[in-house]
Formats: sequence, C-alpha cells, structure tokens
Amino acid sequence: MSVSGLRKGGVTLTALGLIGLVVIYWLSFFWVSTEIRQGIVQRIFYVHVPAAWTTGLAFGIAALTSAMYLWLRDERLDRAAVSAAEGGMVFGAIMLTTGPLWGKIAWGTYWTWEPRLTLTLLLWFIFLGYFMVRSATDNPEKGKRFAAVVAIVGALDIPFIHLSVIWFRSLHPAPVVIKPEGPSLPGDMLTLLLASFAVFTVLFFGLFLLRYALETVRVELDARAREVAA
Amino acid sequence: MSYLRQVQAIVWKDLLLEFRTKERLVAMGAFAVLSAVLFNYAVDRTAVRPQDIAAGLIWMTIVFGGLLGVGRTFHLEAQDGAFEGILMSPAPKDAVFLGKTLANFILLYVVSLLVVAVFMLFFGLELGASPAVLALVLCLGVLGFVSLGTLFAAVSSGTRMGETLLPILVFPLLVPMVIFGTGATGRLLASRPVAEVVGDIRMLGAFAVMALAAGALLFRFVVED
Amino acid sequence: MCAPGGGGRLTGPVLMAAPDTAPPTLATEDVVLDAQGLVREYGPVVAVAGIDLTLGPGEFLTVFGPNGAGKSSLLGLLAGSMRPTLGRVSVRGQQLDFGDVSWRRRIGVLSHRGFLYHDLTVTENLRFFGRLFELTDLDRRIPERLAHVGLSDRAGFKVGQLSHGMKQRLALARALLHDPDLVLLDEPFTGLDPSAAAVLRKVLVGLKDGQRTVVMVTHNLGEGLALATRVAIQARGRFVWQGGRDEIDTDSFERFYHEAVEGRR
Repeated sequence: MSVSGLRKGGVTLTALGLIGLVVIYWLSFFWVSTEIRQGIVQRIFYVHVPAAWTTGLAFGIAALTSAMYLWLRDERLDRAAVSAAEGGMVFGAIMLTTGPLWGKIAWGTYWTWEPRLTLTLLLWFIFLGYFMVRSATDNPEKGKRFAAVVAIVGALDIPFIHLSVIWFRSLHPAPVVIKPEGPSLPGDMLTLLLASFAVFTVLFFGLFLLRYALETVRVELDARAREVAA
Repeated sequence: MSYLRQVQAIVWKDLLLEFRTKERLVAMGAFAVLSAVLFNYAVDRTAVRPQDIAAGLIWMTIVFGGLLGVGRTFHLEAQDGAFEGILMSPAPKDAVFLGKTLANFILLYVVSLLVVAVFMLFFGLELGASPAVLALVLCLGVLGFVSLGTLFAAVSSGTRMGETLLPILVFPLLVPMVIFGTGATGRLLASRPVAEVVGDIRMLGAFAVMALAAGALLFRFVVED
Repeated sequence: MCAPGGGGRLTGPVLMAAPDTAPPTLATEDVVLDAQGLVREYGPVVAVAGIDLTLGPGEFLTVFGPNGAGKSSLLGLLAGSMRPTLGRVSVRGQQLDFGDVSWRRRIGVLSHRGFLYHDLTVTENLRFFGRLFELTDLDRRIPERLAHVGLSDRAGFKVGQLSHGMKQRLALARALLHDPDLVLLDEPFTGLDPSAAAVLRKVLVGLKDGQRTVVMVTHNLGEGLALATRVAIQARGRFVWQGGRDEIDTDSFERFYHEAVEGRR
C-alpha cells in the first residue's frame, strides 16, 4: 500500500473517529440517562472503558506483529508494532488519567488498585520499556529486536498479571458489561458504550495508519540519505 | 545428551567464576543483611508486628538483591569478549540461556535462604509449620525471577543504559510472582495449612515455566547480531 | 623476507593484475570457504560493501587494509558471529545459517579480544570451550594443544597471570582445540614480543602444512606476506585488490598497498 494511500486512509479514519468522538460526547452529556448511584460523573465511563479496550487492542497488535517481525524479519511488521505501541501509550494515558479522576469524584479515592486500572498501568510501563529499549541501542536493528522481545514477554505475562491482581483485591464496582450472563447495563447506556467502543477503535486505527505512514516515510528518508552520503 | 553437557559446562563455568571471585555472592549477601538492618529502623515495631509484614519484606529484599546479582550476569562475560566465544560455539542459544539462568538460580536461591535466615535472626521470625513448603515457594519464585532477569539482563547490557534499565523492564512482569509469592509465604509463616497455598504454588510454578520457556525461545533474538 | 620465485618479473604497481581479478576456480569438493556477495550494514554505515571469496584447503589468505575498512566485520561474517545484510557464506558446503549450528564446529576464531576468562586457569578455559564444542577426549587433547603452543608449564596458571603473548597463544590453542577446517585470525600479531611472534608464526605455518584454511587480518605487512598464499587488500568495505602471493613483489608491496588503498592502484 502506498504512503499516500495509507495517509488518506489514516486521515479518513481519524476524521471519522474525531467526529464520532464529538457525537459520543454530546450523547453522553445530553442523551444517555444518568446513573443512579454515581450521578453525572459516571459519564466518564464512556471514555474510560473504551480507552482501556483500545490500550489492550494496541498491545495485542504490538505483541503479535513483534512476534511475526522476529520470525519473518519484515520491516513493515516492526513499523506496525511501533505504531500500535505509540497508540497504546496514548490511549493508556487517557485511561489512567480518567480513571483516578472518576475514582476521586465518584468514590473519594484516586487509586483503588482496581485490577483493570492496575493492569493498564503495568501495560503502560511495558510500553515505556519498549520505547526505552528501542532508543537506547546504538544499532537500530538491535533496538527493534530488543523491543520486540519486550512486547512478546509482556504479552505472555499479561494473563498472569491479570489473574494475580484480580485475585489480590478489588474496590471497583462489579463489571457491568462483560459478564458471562450478559451485560446488565440498561439499554441506552449499553448502546452508547458499544458506540464508544466502535468510535475509539476507528480513532485508534486512524492514528495507527497515520503513524505507520509516517514511519514508512522516515525509513525512506533514511535510505535516501544513505545513498546520497555513499 | 551433549545439549545437557553444554548447559552443564556453562553452569559450572559461571559457578566456578563466582566461587573464585565471590563478587556477586558477597554483594547479594551483604545486601540481604544490610536491608534487614534498614528495615528494622524503617519499620515501626510498636505499630506493626514484623511477623505480619515479613513476607513482603523478604520478597522485596530478594527482588532488589537479585537484580544486583542477575544484572551482572553478562558483565563477567564482557571482560575479554568471552561471550562472543560462547556464541560462536556450536552450543544452541537456548542452552546458553538455560545454563546462565540455572547458575543465577543457584546463586539467588542460596541468597534467598540467607534472607529468610537473616529475618529470623533479626526479627525473631518463626518458620511456621511447613518449612519444606516454604523452601519450595522460594524455589519457584526465584526460578521465575531469574529467568526473566537473565533474559532482560541480556537486553539491558546491549543498550547504552545497561543495568539501570533492568528494573524498568522486569518490575511490571514480576507482579504475579510478588503477589503469589508473598501470599504463600505470609500464610506459611503464619502456620496456615498447606492446602491454602497450593493454588499459589501452582501459579508460581506456571509462571516459572512461562518465564523459562520465553527466555529459552527469545534469547537467541537478543544475542544474535 | 624475499619473495619466493618470480622475483624481478614484476617491477611496479603498473604491472599488477586488475583489482577485480577473479580467484582461481576450485573443484567443489575442494572448496573450504565460499562467500558470495557479502554485504554488512550497521544502520546507515556500510562496513562490508560486496565481497566474494573462495578458498581451498591449505590456502592462507592475508587481508591487509586500513582501520575502518571493514576487515573485522568481514571476519565476523565469515565466522558466523554476525548475519550478512546480503550475501551468504558456506564452509565445506554448509551454508552459515543461524538455524543449524553444526557448521560452527568447522570454524576456529582468534580475535584480538581473546575470549578468555581471567579468573579461570588455562586448563579450565580450554576445558570449558572444549565441552561447548562437544569434544570428548579433552584429557588427551588439552595437554597436546598446550604443548603445541608452548604453554604446557602454565596449565595451572590463571589467565590473568599470563603475559599478553601467552594469552594470545592460549587463545590460539582455544581456536584450534576442535580441529577446525577454517581458521580466522584477527590481528594476531598485535602487541606480541618477538619470541611470542615466533611461536605464533611457527603454529600458523603448521596450519598451512596441515591443509587447514586460514584467513588472517593484519597490519603487519612482513608477517602477513611471509605466511600468505593469497593476498587481499580491503578498503572501504571492498577488496580493492585480490590475488596470489606470487603476484606480489615484496619490496614494492608497501607502496603498492598505499596506492591500492587510496584508489590509485
């Protein structure tokens, strides 16, 4: 896929995502019903939860493309991994800032060691390690391989982290959407939440494509610079 | 069988070197004792009984001390470029990883037993009803830790930041080990029935297996050039 | 040292062969080392920019070149310690890929870095590497090799206690411990006193006689020419000249070397 094609796709998706975001925000303030126990602040839910989902999605893509990169050695896979990782850090940061904000207003405490919040915090630091390792090597090829290893081991550890923090303690309200017996949210909240998921996903892929295109151009520039210098 | 002999050669070489220089053992051992001393002053013994928080303190001491030792794993190889010699031998990279990890495990396991002994001495800690199970918990926890530590020590020593990068890479991944390890240890020190820690032991075991497998599989990508 | 045979026939660089002389072709069974189109890049830096090389048994290739020419990278590629960005290397028909590592038994490397553990004894070092190379007769082999390089009386010494020359000899013993077909030497004469150099020279001559294939990188024009059966001059990642030892006039070689490196041939 050509760079301009990627960029067009990226801009389109991002634009769609941003428009969708505006719609979601409007709906979350003016259309959806207010939750009884928490009041207005609960509306942050429609940003916080999809951000968490997107962070996880980003991490999954980064880990998968990293593994394939080590196997197939195709540069494009590494580009996909770094694009996903950046997106993951951004959405992770959103989730980690909305979480404590919500917590403080709704329940009086900034941090409650809620499993999903903790997991996202750890994910965010694994992403940090990913980028630190990438930039701290003198040989960029080594940096890419090291980063891929970080992503893969992180992905292997996630199930363990997930199980362990859940087992440990929790103050968060019971999960209202993803439950075995089906979601227990009232209709309009569920609709808005699912719409939010869709919007955030679209936005993520838009940013992903833009970042991927940027990385492609950067690699191209590097190669041209080398040719000129030689 | 030559595979096992190659692993054994590396374990033996690392332990022999450690025996000759005693660098890491002394550093980790001193760290264990001195940490306990600092904890004595850092913890208000009128507000908290050491027995209640011992499990956590023991594991954090093992983690920090372990980082000291494991972080240097590849440092001793850098001296004369000896590691390159190993990489150019027919020994498979996963054998090299297993050898180094096993040597680190032996070192840190000894240190972890020392840590427990020191805490018993300084805080009047009692071992509880099942010391053998406690030894098993330590064994599995340390094994998982050194597996991840050895893999990422190879990564960090290949970067400009060196060992300072190691905690950043490893700490997020250690959360399960800390949770299950301290959970089991705390209960064993309180003489709870062994049945209560079986779940923790299973998770620690699974974690160790995952860490070993991940290291064995991925090490070659870290050390290749 | 005088050039063997052919002396006086060639009087200056003008009569030397063209820089891209193809090496003589060998029958396939006789090929020990075959490298084609080797390129090695480190990010933007191109260390090896396209090198072809074929060597048979008993051949001794000396590679001369200035610092930064990529000689060490070339050796690294031939040793299998790094992947080529492009091209491939085969030793005795086995391609150096990173899946099957049995070809590593055919290669012995002497780097100026030594690959030795200072806190272990001479014997312990050899025993360790011997076991990595899956050798089973170390009790016989190690004393033999030590005698070969003249270190028998130092067997129990820690490497840290040895002089530089002795460490180099031990490193050579280590490189040859497993009887490799291909021996790669990176600046082996650097920092050696005359007696150590003499021992090294004797061992290297022995390798030629024993039909081993050697590639040696060195700055030492005298030693390099004395031992070589083939010579190459590397600059800027390429062989700017490659040919047999008998194509060279020893006396004018230094001037020829500088001209070749500067591109004036």
